[in-house]
Amino acid sequence: MVNKHYPLETRGLSVTFNAGGENEVVAFSDITFTLKADEILAIVGPSGCGKSTLFNVIAGLQPATVGEVFVNGTRVLDAKGQVGYMLQKDMLLPWRSVRENVGLGLEIKGVPKEERNAVADRLIAAYGLKGFENSKPGTLSGGMRQRVAFMRTLALDPDVILLDEPFSALDFQTRILLQGEVMDIIGKQRKSAILVTHDIGEAITMADRVMILSRRPGRVKQIVSIDLDRDERDPVKLRSNTRYQEYFQLLWSELDI
Amino acid sequence: MSWSRLRYLPGQIGLAMVVFAIWEGLVQAEVLSAHLYGYPSGIAAKVYGLLSTGELFRHAGVTAFAAILGFLLGSAIGSFAGLCLWLNETVARIVRPFIVAINGVPKIAFAPLIIVWFGIGIESKIAIAAALTFIVSLIATYNGTLETDRDLLRLMRSLGATRLQSWRKVVVPAALPWVLSTLRLNVGFALIGAVVGEYISSQEGLGYLVYYSGVLYDLNGVWAGILALMVVALLMDRGVTEIDRRLRW
Ligand SMILES: Nc1ncnc2c1ncn2[C@@H]1O[C@H](COP(=O)(O)OP(=O)(O)O)[C@@H](O)[C@H]1O
Ligand SMILES: [Mg+2]
Repeated sequence: MVNKHYPLETRGLSVTFNAGGENEVVAFSDITFTLKADEILAIVGPSGCGKSTLFNVIAGLQPATVGEVFVNGTRVLDAKGQVGYMLQKDMLLPWRSVRENVGLGLEIKGVPKEERNAVADRLIAAYGLKGFENSKPGTLSGGMRQRVAFMRTLALDPDVILLDEPFSALDFQTRILLQGEVMDIIGKQRKSAILVTHDIGEAITMADRVMILSRRPGRVKQIVSIDLDRDERDPVKLRSNTRYQEYFQLLWSELDI
Repeated sequence: MSWSRLRYLPGQIGLAMVVFAIWEGLVQAEVLSAHLYGYPSGIAAKVYGLLSTGELFRHAGVTAFAAILGFLLGSAIGSFAGLCLWLNETVARIVRPFIVAINGVPKIAFAPLIIVWFGIGIESKIAIAAALTFIVSLIATYNGTLETDRDLLRLMRSLGATRLQSWRKVVVPAALPWVLSTLRLNVGFALIGAVVGEYISSQEGLGYLVYYSGVLYDLNGVWAGILALMVVALLMDRGVTEIDRRLRW
């Protein structure tokens, strides 16, 4: 059916809430796109156009009303565990240490404690939180917490990572720092990611392509390729790049805000 | 903690002294009838008498035993049942109206039934205390499980968790603060249960002491029993604080 195996592919996805009921809501309709290997695809669109709902469908947390999702070429009804998922809220369990939070997914899969602690400690050291293994999330800053949430996502080694406005609750400096880190990790580990953001600058900085959704019911309006090299994508310097400014104008004018 | 408590101790003792002094003065001046109100020096004498015969300890021991055992049974089973209700929404929806109905009735109205079923010995007092605390824990804990952050549960599912895994790893620990704060309420309910059981039929216990003294118009005896109940309540509350300190995350 699918010739080329994209990490992720959607075909004609639609979600209708309360179908047939009096408060029927079509969240989005006929969404078809592919996510290529090693790519970051950003999704921008007006609030309420169904971005979070789309992620729920892709992650297998809720069924689509119409349409199909393929992960690595196979149709999935249940992509749980294959697709990593990170939200604006870090969702760390406050009663668990950083190590136990990072190892949560592995624990659910039944990986023995020693093994998952080893994976967790390796990630924690690699992403600059060495020494905080036994700390409780409540003692960490917002940026550190979001980093822990990202490690928890990586621990299961998913091919596809969904990021739903993951940096929007952070202060400017931390956000810039984490954007860079996440780009590097996704690049180095050869993952693919979809980034939902309402920050056009963030979309241009991080994404290889930007998919613009219309007002609800969300439909794909346009997909814009961002042709910038990794070394041009410095969140601060990029702002003065003329191509950044052109992309910004284009995306801004296409967004129905 | 202990420092800030001690800081207010003089004020607390002072308040009690002032209340007792006014009370004693009003009774000595015959504004209040000693017969109908009792009076502090008479209460002190009564307490001393009951202590020297060992009666007060015996009564307090019986009541405390019934209240604590009922508290432990009722709170443990009620909390566990409340946590488990989350596991099956169908069962929860079926039993919900029954729980609401039972909770709406002043639960103490069930006491005579329990005495009929369990007899007039200490078992019925334990059972009443257990029944009251069971209901309170069941409802508070189940409501606590419903407060679990939905996004947290979505995250668990995205990591592949089964409902049972989400329950063990998220719902139960997240509901723990509810369980623990209900324990504090349950100290009161357990004592109500034990004392009411003793009012209805008993030969011993602080409820018996209070009730029997009241029948005899021995108001100092009533007060002595109430003071002893306060001490038992404070000690149980200390115990709960200790449990809380050990379990809270
Ligand atoms: N469970 C639900 N039942 C009914 N409507 C819903 C539900 N979840 C989301 N919606 C509606 O679907 C639309 C899309 O929501 P969402 O996916 O959160 O949008 P976005 O993330 O793009 O802001 C919104 O109008 C929202 O009110
Ligand atoms: Mg959203």
